[in-house]
Amino acid sequence: MHGNIWVVQNPQGSAQSMALVIRFQLRPSVSITINELGESSDQPCSNSLFKGLQVLLADDDDLNRAVTRKLLEKLGCSVSAVTSGFECLTSIGPASSPFQIVILELQMPELDGFEVAMRIRKFRSRNWPLIVAMTASADDDTWERCSQIGINGVIRKPVLLQGIAIELRKVLMQANKV
Amino acid sequence: MERNPMRRQLAIMRQSLFDQGHVDEQFVQLEELQDDANPNFVEEVVTLYYRDSARIILNIEQALERKPFDFRKLDAYMHQFKGSSSSIGAKKVKAESTLFREYCKSGNGEGCMRSFQQLKKEYATLRKKLGTYFQLARQAGPVETASRPK
Repeated sequence: MHGNIWVVQNPQGSAQSMALVIRFQLRPSVSITINELGESSDQPCSNSLFKGLQVLLADDDDLNRAVTRKLLEKLGCSVSAVTSGFECLTSIGPASSPFQIVILELQMPELDGFEVAMRIRKFRSRNWPLIVAMTASADDDTWERCSQIGINGVIRKPVLLQGIAIELRKVLMQANKV
Repeated sequence: MERNPMRRQLAIMRQSLFDQGHVDEQFVQLEELQDDANPNFVEEVVTLYYRDSARIILNIEQALERKPFDFRKLDAYMHQFKGSSSSIGAKKVKAESTLFREYCKSGNGEGCMRSFQQLKKEYATLRKKLGTYFQLARQAGPVETASRPK
C-alpha cells in the first residue's frame, strides 16, 4: 500500500512508540449500517444505507424511468437519469465519476445494457461503479451473461420498492467485503 | 372509516378496480410513491403510459395490416407494451399482452388479431375507469389526517 512503518525506541531499547503510514486513495464513502440481528422483512428501506447514494439511472422508456427514479428517491438515493446507453457512458466518463451505482436497463435500442456494462468494466475496476441491471426477462442465461460481464446485480421488472432495496443492499454489502 | 363521503366513494371505486382485476400490486406500488411533493404521481404516470403506449398500439395496428405477419416485430412491439403495462399495474391488459406474445411465438395470426382486439378493449376500459377515478380523487382533495374529537 506504498506506506511506511517505523519504531521510536526509548533509552531502554524497547519500543516507545510506533508509527504507521498507509496511503489510501480517496473515494466517496459508502456508509453501511449492518444490522447484527439480521434483516427484518418488513423494513426494506433502511435509509442510512441508501441516503445520499449517487445513482445513475439509464432507461430509454419514459414511463419506467419515471417510476424507477421515484422508487430510488424514496429509498433516499440521489438520482441522475439518462435515456440511452451512449448518454450513460458519457456521464460516467473515463476518469472518476460521482456515481457509486449505475442502474441499467438491459434492452435499450442502439447501445444495450450489456454493451454499456462491458465498456464500463473495460475502463474501470470491477467494483467501481457498481452496476445493477434491470430487465423484464430475467432467466438463468441473462444472469449468467451479466455475471460474466461484471454486472453486480439484477433487478426484475416491473420494479418493486422491496425488490430494488434488497438487490441494492446485497450489491453494496458484497462490494464492501472485497 | 372515511368520514368524507367523496373519500368513501373513492375508496369503493379503488377497491373495485382491484376486485374486478383491472389493476394489481404494481398499482399499489405507484400509490406508495405518491407523497406531498408528488400528490398526483399515480395520475401522472398513468397519463404518461397512455401517451407512450398509443404509439406502440398504432405500430401494432399497422403491422397487422401487412401480410404476411412479421411475428418477430409484432412480438417485439408487444414486449415493450407489456413492460409499460406492467409498470402501472394494468393487470388485464398485461394478461392479454402475454397471450398475444404466445400467439406470435406459435405463428398464429388469427389468434394475434383476436387477442389484440380484446387487448384494445381492456386498454380502453381501464382508461375510462382510471379517468373517472382520478377525477374523483382531485375533487375529493388531499387526504385529511384523522383527528380525535376533543
